Formats: sequence, C-alpha cells, structure tokens
Amino acid sequence: MIKVRAIFEKKGRAKYISHLDLNRFMMRVFRKSGLPVWYTEGYNPHPYIAFALALSLGFESECEIMDFSLTEGVSFGKIKKSLNEIMPEGLKILSVITPEHNVKDIFKAEYSVECLTEFPEKLSCELERFLESDKICVEKKTKKGIKTIDIKPDTEISGYDISEGKLILKIKLSAGTQNNLNPMLFTEAFSSVSPVKFETGNICRKNIFCADGEIFR
Amino acid sequence: MLREKIEKYLLDVQKPSRYIGGEMGSIIKNPDETDVSFAFCFPDTYDIGMSHLGMKILYSLMNSRENYRCERVFAPQEDFENIMREHDIPLYTLENLEPVKNFDFIGFTLQYELSYTNVLNMLDLAGVPLWQRDRGEALSPIVVAGGCCVCNAEPLADFFDIFILGEGEEVNLELMDLYLEHKKRGSSRSEFLRDAVKIEGIYVPSFYHVSYNDDGTVKSITPDDGIPPVVRKRIISDMDKVFYPDNFAVPFSEIVHDRAVTEVLRGCIRGCRFCQAGFLYRPFREKSAESIFNQSKVLCENTGYDELSLASLSTSDHSDISEILSKLIDYTEKNKINLSLPSLRIDNFSEELLEKIKKVRKSGLTFAPEAGTQRLRDVINKNVTEEEIMNTCRISFEGGYTTVKLYFMLGLPTETDEDIIGIAELAQKIVDLFYSLPERPKGKSVQVSISTATFVPKPFTPFEFEPQDTREMIEHKQKLLTESIKSRKIRPSWHDPSVSLIEAVLARGDRRLSEVIYTAWKNGCKSDSWGEHFKFDIWLDAFRRCGLDPGFYACRKREYNEIMPWEHIDYYVSKDFFIRENIRARKSETTPNCREKCSACGVNKATGGKCFD
Repeated sequence: MIKVRAIFEKKGRAKYISHLDLNRFMMRVFRKSGLPVWYTEGYNPHPYIAFALALSLGFESECEIMDFSLTEGVSFGKIKKSLNEIMPEGLKILSVITPEHNVKDIFKAEYSVECLTEFPEKLSCELERFLESDKICVEKKTKKGIKTIDIKPDTEISGYDISEGKLILKIKLSAGTQNNLNPMLFTEAFSSVSPVKFETGNICRKNIFCADGEIFR
Repeated sequence: MLREKIEKYLLDVQKPSRYIGGEMGSIIKNPDETDVSFAFCFPDTYDIGMSHLGMKILYSLMNSRENYRCERVFAPQEDFENIMREHDIPLYTLENLEPVKNFDFIGFTLQYELSYTNVLNMLDLAGVPLWQRDRGEALSPIVVAGGCCVCNAEPLADFFDIFILGEGEEVNLELMDLYLEHKKRGSSRSEFLRDAVKIEGIYVPSFYHVSYNDDGTVKSITPDDGIPPVVRKRIISDMDKVFYPDNFAVPFSEIVHDRAVTEVLRGCIRGCRFCQAGFLYRPFREKSAESIFNQSKVLCENTGYDELSLASLSTSDHSDISEILSKLIDYTEKNKINLSLPSLRIDNFSEELLEKIKKVRKSGLTFAPEAGTQRLRDVINKNVTEEEIMNTCRISFEGGYTTVKLYFMLGLPTETDEDIIGIAELAQKIVDLFYSLPERPKGKSVQVSISTATFVPKPFTPFEFEPQDTREMIEHKQKLLTESIKSRKIRPSWHDPSVSLIEAVLARGDRRLSEVIYTAWKNGCKSDSWGEHFKFDIWLDAFRRCGLDPGFYACRKREYNEIMPWEHIDYYVSKDFFIRENIRARKSETTPNCREKCSACGVNKATGGKCFD
C-alpha cells in the first residue's frame, strides 16, 4: 500500500462545497478515475480519503491536503493528470507528493482576508491601532458552550495590501487538532471596534505550516 | 454581474452548492456558440428535481446537439427566494448563471399537480409575464411544459405557449429545429406556434376555445381554423435505439435519489385501474438486457456513483429480469457498487438468483396491496393476493427481516367499512405470522407500518368518472382504521386529505382553474406538496373569489358521455376502454394483464398491431 498526498486548490464555485460533500465528491472522483485506490475493508467499502485540515464553507484555498492510498504504484504525474481531467471548475490538483509531515504537525495556517471598504487607507490605520491592543477577545463556540478567549497570542498579521475598495490582510492563525482558529473571529473582533466600517469579502487559505515554520507537505 | 450578486448572498443560505452549479457532469456551453437555448425548469427544489430521471435524459439529449444548449433551473428554498426578491436576483440557470428570461425556451416538467403554484412562482421570479396572452408577439421566450400532468394541463392552459404530449426524446429536438428556422426568419410568436402544431405531440392551448354548460360541465372544445381537433402524444418505438445519457450531473450535496439509474422498460402490463402512469405510458416496451447492462456500466464509470438502481413502473415484468439481475449483481459486487433493487415479484426466480439477491438487498420489505380485501383489490384490478403477501413475508422473516411496510389507499370506488377493517386484519395476520414461525429472528419484534393515502381519481384511468371521497368520509375511515388496529406492532400513518382534495381538483380540472391557481399563488400558496407550506384556507378562499366549487371538480361523479376537459387530448388508450373497465370494476371483475390477453385498450393503433408476439 502506497501512501499519497495531493495538494489541491478549491476556488470559485467550488468554495460552496461543504467539507462533508467534498469528501463524498472525492470518493466519486477516485471511482471515476480508475486509479488503483485503496478501499476500506468494512461492511461498506469505499475509497479511503483523509483531509488534513477542514476548510470552512465559503473559504477558498490554495493549499488543501488530501491523503489516500494506492494498492499499486502509479507515477505522481499520472495521478495528477487523471484527477485533474475529472475535476470540475474550481477544484484543481496542484501537486502529488509522498507525505513528509504528519497531520499532527500542523501548527499554523495563513489566510488572505479581504476587507471591503470605501476607505482602505483609513481602515489600515485602524488595523494598526487595533493590533496595538493587549488582547483580542472573541467569543468562540465550543462543545461546552460559548467561551471568551484571547486570540492575540495566536494571531500574527504578516502584512496587508491596499487596492481599490479593499484592504487585503495576510493573517496567520493557530491551526490543527489542538487549537484551530477561524479568521472570521479576527475580522469580527476588528469590525466590532473599528470606526471605519467594512464587510468581509473573499477569504483564501494560502499556506499550512508546521511548528518549525516549515510549509506542511 | 449576476454571478457576483448571487455570490454575495450565497453564504447566508442553507446548502449553497445547490444554487451555483458547476457539478461534475454538468454541461456548460458558451452562449455565443449555440443557436437555441432551453432553460429546463423543475418546479420544486434542487434536491427533488435533481433526482428526476426524465430531466437527466432530456438535459443530455438537448446538449448532445452541438448548437443547442440546455441548462437547469430549480425552485429556490424560501431562504434564498427571499434574498432573490429583496435584491432583484432574477431566476437563473445553474450552468451559465444566466437569467431564465433570456432563453429561447423556458420548459417545465409537470410531474405532480401540487407543483403548479411553483410554476407560477418561478415564472414570476424569472420576470416573465405569467399569462400567455401578456407575452406579446416577440418570439422568445416560448414557455412549454411536458411530463405526465400535461395529459390534462387545462388548469395551466392560460399560462403556457405549448404543452408537449408524451415521450420527449424526439419531439423536443423537432420543436427546437423548427424554432431555429423561425428564429432565422424573424417570425413572431404566433407564426411559430401555428407552425409548431403540425408536429405530432405539440399542443398549443391558446388555439382551442372551451365553452361550458349551465351546470359547469364542458359544452365544447373548438379549435381555431386549421388547427387539429385532437392532439396525440408521442411514443418512442425502440427502447434500444432511443437516446439514453451516458453521464449525469452529479450533485455535491445529498439529494433524494443520489445514484445512477438505468431505465429498464416503459409502460406497464398490469392495468391497475387507479394508476394513471399505467395507462399514460403504454405501450409496454422493454430495453434489452444487453443495453441495460451496458448503460448501467457506462453510467457508473462516468458518474463515479457507488449506487445503481433500475427504473420502471414494474421491473419484475421484464421478460429477461433474471438475466439482467444476474449480470448486474456480478458487476456491482466486483466494483463495490450497491445495487438498490425495487420491490420485485420473486415467485419465479431460481434458488441461485434468490441467494444473490439476498446478499444485495438491504432495505425493508414493501408491499402495495392498495386495498384491504380481495373484493376491493379486484375492483381496482390490483393482482396481489393475500397468499402472495404471506408467502413473501414468511420467506423474508425466515431470512432475518423484521419490518414490513404496506401501502394502501382510502376512498377507493365501492369501498365500505369492511374494506377498511380488512386493512387492519391483513396487518394483524402478518404480525401473527411472524410469531408463528419457529425460524423467526430471535429476540426481535416485528414492525408493520401501514401508510394510507387518499385516493385521487385521475384522467386517463377507468376511475376518471369517479367522485373522490369527501374529507368527512376520509376522516371517518381513518378513525375506523385506528380503532380496528389492536396490536402495538402495527403503526398507521396518513396523508392530509385536504392536500388530496386540491390534487383531485387540479388533476381533473378545466381552464377556469387558471384563475384559482393564480389567486392562490398571489395570496401566498407555493410548494403545496410540502406539508409545512400547504395553506388550505388560502386555496378555499381562492375558489370562493373565483366563484368555483372544489367539490364540483373533486367529489362529483361524471357520466360516461360527459365531455371531459381533456377530450381533445389523445393518449391512444380509448375512452371506450376506460368505460368498459369502469363497468367491470363495478362488478368486481378483474382484467388479465396485457401479456395474458389483449384487452383492446387502443394503444395498438400506435404499435401497428400486437404489443406482444
């Protein structure tokens, strides 16, 4: 059995596919592809697929990770080609690799977040001010109910761009099985104090990192 | 741009992937490179409409022509509809996200009467004038409909340019070809419509004029000069040669029937007297075992589905059913595909095949005796005997099954209290059977559910003359059934009889109902088949405002010589045959199935001789 990792993008129309639906969809893609994919051996055999880090409905991504196994060797180039021949608009395999890291190594994820406003310059000043505060307290839904947490220590703004009608933030947040933060928590907290009003536009996951800062592969 | 506007609100609605298209297997063509466009509308939600086989067939068929473009449209759920109305998002197609209004054809499939208000709602969302007379002389959009309800779509006659009768695989393309000629020529709407009626199966309701007697019945149906007095449905002659899709658009979200489907036969030999489909889809035609196998395999390969099912009115009646099942079970098992089999008559299967089927079948046991006594089953010509039911239940209980589902109708012609009590008795016999078997599943209890629907008399059946039971009569029967059930292993359930009343009115209604449907919709009725949306009071109010009585349509007995609102529509099966069958029903006489003996229903006019060798 050969373990394989595909890195794919999810954009455009595909961003409205929920995580569960994507899972079912990918099983169909594998069936259709004719690749010698490994099936689970239970009562209801299906292609084994695992996604490293779930993506919120409505977010785009350039770095989605999908693991699966093959029962016989196929070149990575051929896997990528046969999958991409099937993929609909918005879903594209970027590369196929042998997994280097373990899913447990995931530590941070970087997002680009569009803040739509008529006054992006002014909004960037507000952002600077907002980032100077000691704490960024947000309400997070957990299994035990709503909890107020400070996300400041887990948040890093790695930069921003200003273009017409929008401020685009680059934001790095904790990710993975232990502490997974949604960038919407940050934009909601910012929006609730910023005197310059904005709407959150497109959000795209750009990279997934390990604890040592290496890109998860 | 429309797409941006849609996307702006899409994350505020439930299951947004239903509103943005782009599914695997969907066909997106460049509008500039096609000559005729067809917006195929299903008047219900995506989850329901995407499960419909007819739409999949015609979608692929139209798109198989390079210069034609067919795109899908469904009714939005309430949350998205509110957003669409608030932000001026017109009804659009899922492929190019293009307003439906821009299409050459806007086509609806009419599968059940309770979707009629959704048709109006969708035309309104599209920004298309609802009444045909208000659409003017511009050629497009031509608003058309097909599907089983067009056998009597008179209640919608004033909203449509064209009804397409019968099977669509040939006539749809012929209509689009003709349209293309007229488009090039710069014709007006009425020029095109006058030419279109020359195609068999094309019915243009605005060319016919209906007058009424003082008692409200139809007096006459008069065509305009040069318009055929009778319109006949279309029939496909060869099931092996007719187009069948080799791929489906596969939804991202889960839908009602989420699987590959192969049609195995059309028509039905049984002649159950309440069943409209059994008469509308005659003659009986089989697809060969080879085609069924090949089409199933290709569909599974192209869609990636892990489930396959067979579609027809009665799959067991295929003359080659053993061969089909045997081959399909081998294929699906090898490829880890679930074969979901419909209810089959298993009486004449070999031991070997039964063993194979046992491995596959996971769902519960379902029977549709439809009536509680043999007398009433003879009246409706449903040839299921108590002995058969008991026999199959015994085999199944011994094989480990513990649940049985039984379907019945309340309000069948000639029904008495005895027939209702018979339902409870039949269920009790099944419970008793279970406990009498030494080989029954150990430590488990049996569960028999009884699902009862209110009988709705339909056009083109021997019961088209019959009154529907009033609500009071149905409520009495429901109460009687509940009281007759003595075991807690038996669970009854029913449909709301007021929904069935509206269905009965629309099924056998005439043109005057256009105004009622419009009024009901205007006052808030839509998605009437969804229990939580059905607003009986508003419907009754709409009848009152229009001066019409629902009882006249639903609960009135018709004489054999009454002119029916669908008198000018010909589905080959003759009215004389329906009268003969109605008389036999009154005498509790059964009619043999078509394979045993031809009953001269009239459909052989189409087959040009015998239906069976």
